[in-house]
Amino acid sequence: MAADDLMSSQKSHRTRKSGPTMRKKSEIDKKKRGVADNKQPNPRAFSVRSVVKAKRLKIRAVEKEQRRIHLPTADRTYGEPPPFVVVVQGPPGVGKSLVIKSLVKHFTHQNVPEVRGPITIVQGKKKRIQFVECPNDINGMIDCAKVADLAILLIDGSYGFEMETFEFLNIMQVHGFPKVMGVLTHLDKFKDVKKLRKTKQRLKHRFWTEIYNGAKLFYLSGLIHGKYSQREVLNLSRFISVIKFHPLSWRTSHPYVLADRLEDVTPPEKIQMDKKCDRNITLYGYLRGCNLKKGMKVHIAGVGDYSLAGVTAFPDPCPLPSAAKKKGLRDREKLFYAPMSGIGDLLYDKDAVYININDHLVQYSKTDEVNGEPANKGRGKDVGEDLVKSLQNTKYSVDEKLEKTFINLFGKKTSASSERKLEEDAQSSPEGSDTESSEEFQSGDEVDDHEMDVDSNDGKIKEKTELRGGRLRRKAIFKDEDSDEDGDDDNDDEEAEDAESDGNEDEDEDGEDESVSDSQDSDEDDVEESEDKVLGNISKWKEPLKEKGRKKNPNLMQIVYGASASSATALINENNEISDDEDFFKPKGEHSKNLGGGLDAGHVNSEDCSKFVNYGNLKNWKEKEVCEDIRDRFTTGDWSKAALRNKNSVAGDEGEDDELYGDFEDLETGEKHNDHENMESGTNEDVEAAERRLKKLALRANDKSELEDDDNDNGDGINPRNSEAKEPGFVDKLKEELEIRKQMNLLELNDLDEDTRIDIEGYRTGTYLRLEIHNVPYEMVDFFDPCHPVLIGGIGFGEDSAGYMQARLKKHRWHKKVLKTRDPIIVSIGWRRYQTIPVYAIEDRNGRHRMLKYTPEHMHCLAMFWGPLVPPNTGFVAFQNLSTNQTGFRITATSVVLEYNHQTHIAKKIKLVGHPCKIKKNTAFIKDMFTSDLEIARFEGSSVRTVSGIRGQVKKAGKNMLDNNAQEGIARCTFEDQIKMSDIVFLRAWTPVEVPQFYNPLTTALQPRDKTWTGMKTFRELRSEHNIPIPVNKDSLYKPIERKTKKFNPLVIPKKLQAELPFASKPKNKPARKRPDLDARRAVVMEPEERKAHAIVQHYKLMSKVKINKKKAKEQEKRKAYEAEKAKKEVISKKRNREERRERYRTEDKQKKKMRRGQD
Amino acid sequence: MGKTTYKRLKGSQSFRQRLLLATLSSTPIIIDEIRADDMIPGLLRHEMSLLRLFETVSDDCVVEVNETGTRLKYKPGIVMGGKNLVHSCALTRSMGYYLEPLLVLGLFGKKPLSIRLKGVTDDPKDLSVDTVRNATLHILKRFGVPSEGLDLKIEARGVAPEGGGEVLLTVPNVQSLTAVQWVEEGMVKKIRGWTFSARVSSDFEHSMRFAARGVFNNLLPDVHIFNDHKSGPHAGKSPGYGISLVAETTAGCYISADTAVSCGRADETGEIDVERQERKPAEDTGVEIASWLLQEIEKGGVVDSTHQGLLFILCALCQQDVSKVRVGTLSPYGVETLRNLKEFLGVTFSFRPDPSTGTVILTCVGSGLINLSRKLS
Repeated sequence: MAADDLMSSQKSHRTRKSGPTMRKKSEIDKKKRGVADNKQPNPRAFSVRSVVKAKRLKIRAVEKEQRRIHLPTADRTYGEPPPFVVVVQGPPGVGKSLVIKSLVKHFTHQNVPEVRGPITIVQGKKKRIQFVECPNDINGMIDCAKVADLAILLIDGSYGFEMETFEFLNIMQVHGFPKVMGVLTHLDKFKDVKKLRKTKQRLKHRFWTEIYNGAKLFYLSGLIHGKYSQREVLNLSRFISVIKFHPLSWRTSHPYVLADRLEDVTPPEKIQMDKKCDRNITLYGYLRGCNLKKGMKVHIAGVGDYSLAGVTAFPDPCPLPSAAKKKGLRDREKLFYAPMSGIGDLLYDKDAVYININDHLVQYSKTDEVNGEPANKGRGKDVGEDLVKSLQNTKYSVDEKLEKTFINLFGKKTSASSERKLEEDAQSSPEGSDTESSEEFQSGDEVDDHEMDVDSNDGKIKEKTELRGGRLRRKAIFKDEDSDEDGDDDNDDEEAEDAESDGNEDEDEDGEDESVSDSQDSDEDDVEESEDKVLGNISKWKEPLKEKGRKKNPNLMQIVYGASASSATALINENNEISDDEDFFKPKGEHSKNLGGGLDAGHVNSEDCSKFVNYGNLKNWKEKEVCEDIRDRFTTGDWSKAALRNKNSVAGDEGEDDELYGDFEDLETGEKHNDHENMESGTNEDVEAAERRLKKLALRANDKSELEDDDNDNGDGINPRNSEAKEPGFVDKLKEELEIRKQMNLLELNDLDEDTRIDIEGYRTGTYLRLEIHNVPYEMVDFFDPCHPVLIGGIGFGEDSAGYMQARLKKHRWHKKVLKTRDPIIVSIGWRRYQTIPVYAIEDRNGRHRMLKYTPEHMHCLAMFWGPLVPPNTGFVAFQNLSTNQTGFRITATSVVLEYNHQTHIAKKIKLVGHPCKIKKNTAFIKDMFTSDLEIARFEGSSVRTVSGIRGQVKKAGKNMLDNNAQEGIARCTFEDQIKMSDIVFLRAWTPVEVPQFYNPLTTALQPRDKTWTGMKTFRELRSEHNIPIPVNKDSLYKPIERKTKKFNPLVIPKKLQAELPFASKPKNKPARKRPDLDARRAVVMEPEERKAHAIVQHYKLMSKVKINKKKAKEQEKRKAYEAEKAKKEVISKKRNREERRERYRTEDKQKKKMRRGQD
Repeated sequence: MGKTTYKRLKGSQSFRQRLLLATLSSTPIIIDEIRADDMIPGLLRHEMSLLRLFETVSDDCVVEVNETGTRLKYKPGIVMGGKNLVHSCALTRSMGYYLEPLLVLGLFGKKPLSIRLKGVTDDPKDLSVDTVRNATLHILKRFGVPSEGLDLKIEARGVAPEGGGEVLLTVPNVQSLTAVQWVEEGMVKKIRGWTFSARVSSDFEHSMRFAARGVFNNLLPDVHIFNDHKSGPHAGKSPGYGISLVAETTAGCYISADTAVSCGRADETGEIDVERQERKPAEDTGVEIASWLLQEIEKGGVVDSTHQGLLFILCALCQQDVSKVRVGTLSPYGVETLRNLKEFLGVTFSFRPDPSTGTVILTCVGSGLINLSRKLS
């Protein structure tokens, strides 16, 4: 019973009858049962209904396809890429540093106390990242936007978007759009989950409209113990690591360095003498963009243009791990480099490496029993050991030693001095960047001497300081030594001269090779000579290096470039000797003339002639055996031999330099003996094989890049795969070509040795560079703030000269006012930021550029301005105000440069107004239009017009046709009809407008960062400052027009005419009557019926009148009531509004105060 | 930046290249001591004429020459190009002198260049216009210069000393040049020649042709020499004749040799060039040039020694890719070019001699010069 009950109470299972699973099931079932699926789709539904429409659709599809395709760009970065710059940007107080800190902590397990300057970390086996915190002022934002590879925009989720974010986005957009990722923070402030979700959604969609649909917006939900949660940081780091960077056109054509270290290397005494002297600085950073050649000029953002005094490649402070096959990074490979933040263990200088070791980790090994001469001792020992021991061999402190040292000028070193140097290297500067500015690091290339007499207690000491080879050396010459020193002083000097010149030559060579060449041994070069004698054994380890440096057999390169002077002079001397023998007395110029065409390559005044003809020693080519030599160079010869000839060269090796030298000389003397005819037929490398290999490589690389591309494109929601398969067309071919070219370049460049490679292609991107720059203003060092990025950008050909640029400009839609012509704007263009005065214009239909007083509201216009030239197609962004406390949107306009020029073609309308002073039939003399006859001459033949529309032409100055003392500037004009004296004559013309040649670079790095830069002020600012009202031209104001009513005189018809008129047209002159005539006086007596009708009509009229009046009164009453109601409502709403506003102001004020407090 | 910093140079050597490279790299230059110690100091007529030519094709360039002409200040402007330009060259040098820099300059103009040059068309010192037309223009095409719009029309001949020739040069403008890998010399498949005679009997041409063809008899059957006898207004003002030979190889290299014979040109001092005083018979000229062509072929390389300078300049102006070319022994002019390129564009070449053939393979990375003055459409 009970069981039954249970059964009945239970619901029986009901199978599903709908839904996707059931549908599928039923289909399978049907198939099983063999039921034919007779439900065919309507065939007409998919047929082409309209040919036009189908065509249109197809065209659209194709266009869409094409839009996706972009022209492949050549990737010319070979080798290790520099670390990617990840800029973290956001409004103040949003948690930028915390994000960086937690990311760094995540990647390296290190705590960063504070974020100052770029922080480089090794993130993976092939990837490094440099984190940069974007400062809050607009200058910093601009510089950051120019270097960012990825921008992380932090947004306070609880507050919403702030202007900074959008400003930064806009700046990035014009400077080439790097990758962007949004991160919402402060989400823990939401208590309501639903509200949180809503806000997220809203912000995400707003973010998408600004960038693109599907842009990544990341959420950091909140802080745990003052840190973001580890899981979220991990996720964020993953997103960062998978982002792919695409090249931006400006950056791939300009080298740039984001400095992560700055040192002042001015000689300290120079600073002591004058604190405000120009400084020499060195900047360190990874080279990005493209290769940097030696002679390049650079622009330091916020400072100015400088030429590089020295470039040195450095070993990477944060190298990628070796390419061993393993998964992930080992802990010790998780390197970390942030010199400005004061962490990281290694510091490199041109001639030293500083290792920061904690004191408790240092253990000094025991030195030998005899401390004095470590050099003589270490016979069988390791050289390195000796070196280290010699470092420990310091009895005295640096100061003590300094007092006692002998500093020899030229090569003769006492042990103490050299020891001192080494010691300094080891000890003095590991603390970090700040202490070093006072150290004695000198400019590498300059050599200058100071001599100083110092009176000290132990007699007279002469002090001599010398700046050389990057070091300060002060020679102390004691009195007793002085005498014999003086004795061979001259001698010494000569020696010195020699030594110096030698040194200089070395240095010059180094300078040309930029001493970087051998990055591993560059450090030692300067020191080696001096240390030779002292350190004995220690110096042994350097010997091979030295030898390597010395033994460079002269090759063609040196002949052409390096030793040009010597070879050329030798040649000239030879020639001179010959001529001297013959005729000693000869006019000065004759020598060079006799030298003849082209032989004297080094002579400054040799003839400019590309032909080098020497018919004298022509072979007799008519003879057969002579011809046999070149038989194979003709199609009639042996083809296989000829083919061999071309092949050989590819595999030619570099050991033949000397022989080539011989060849070269041959030419100079004009004869030719090919004594090396040893045909190297046994070449191991086949050209075709090489080519094939190249192609393969290219293909492989191509495939990879394509895959990457696909990954990128998938984000856009279009599936490119199918199209790719369909169309292996133009783009693919281009890509392949580019890749082949790249591989070819690599092949060629890899053949070269490191020195020549740097000579030929410049420093490769990704190298860590030390840039030395001389004579920068002292403010740059004084006001240096590591939180602001120091951007050093290379300047291309022609970009350092100024000219007029024409740009297509549009006022930013969020900027409230239109821009005024000739109001200064600050532009950020290329690497530069400067203030300039634009003139706006628009192109008329006939191609004329008409000046505009103001930019159009929602339209592009042309802007012409003066400034350092940039290549066309460079975007720029304009500002009017850089101050941080501005409320509105600071970007005033965005623009792109179209063209540059050395002159402008802007015109504006001009209307010359004149009045006739004398009229003779159709000719009139016009005054007031021109001021002089000369001016008239300029306008001869131009057309004029009167107000009434009578057209005419300016003929000539009318002086001679008027009386003698007529004033100047009266023009004779002819018109198509006679004009009146009351007419006004216009001449409409166009006058060229000059664009002011003004530009003022923003020197924001030369002032305290919190101060806003002020340049030229706008009219408005000046007016408000000086309390000047806006000038008003009274004539331009609109006034009510008062017209007198015209009084016409009665029409008078002449009597003669009257007589001839027909009677009907004749005026009927009736005398005025005194009494009204009969018609008027006559009374009307109506018939009774008529009267009745009349009365009725009158009644009706009355009735309707009354009705209308009643209606009107009613309406009026109604309106009155309505008005009263409205007034009442208004009062209420006003009250409410006021309260609301008050509340809002109060909160805003509070917030502002808080912010101000936060900033302080 | 307000002050322009000038690059300081000395002497009149490689004047054309200095001007050309200064203009292309927009470096203002000052050249001092131009023939300061010479009998005739300062810039010569053709150099002044070249400066005028640069002024014609470019906009806003500033040229200052001091009184004696020994110091030149040149601030380059923007190369404009344009149509219907006319320049009358000084008669002290022939058209080849002007054409060499102008060809390169025209490539980097704002608009395609079309200019009419008047003066001496051929002389023994410089490239003959025939050679420019038939060999030099082909070299340009190698670097990605479109062949349409690249043309040289010889409208009238003119030889020294009076000139009177006229040529019409059209050069298209390019965005940038593409790097070349040009090491294959190939084998000479045909030789073409152009002789001309102006105000003299065409017999001279015939004898030159005959003699020149005789030299090639042993080597190649495919030799054809065209003649171009001018008379009347097209023949210029002075009598003379000349020959230009171009050998084309299977790899598309053009190797040329040319000369022209005319009355000695009066030097500025009034005396007549001594060596040129006695003229050779036309047969000898033909043989000489033919032999010279063979000499050039023997030297090897993808261009002849005269065109080395142009080749190097073009290589250096390419995109930032590796160019590789093979030349025969380096000519002094070529070496000069290499030095100038390093100075102005910072382009260094690396050299690899090929001892088996006596040629040198030069490799460089182009400076990546882009024609910036072209308007963005």
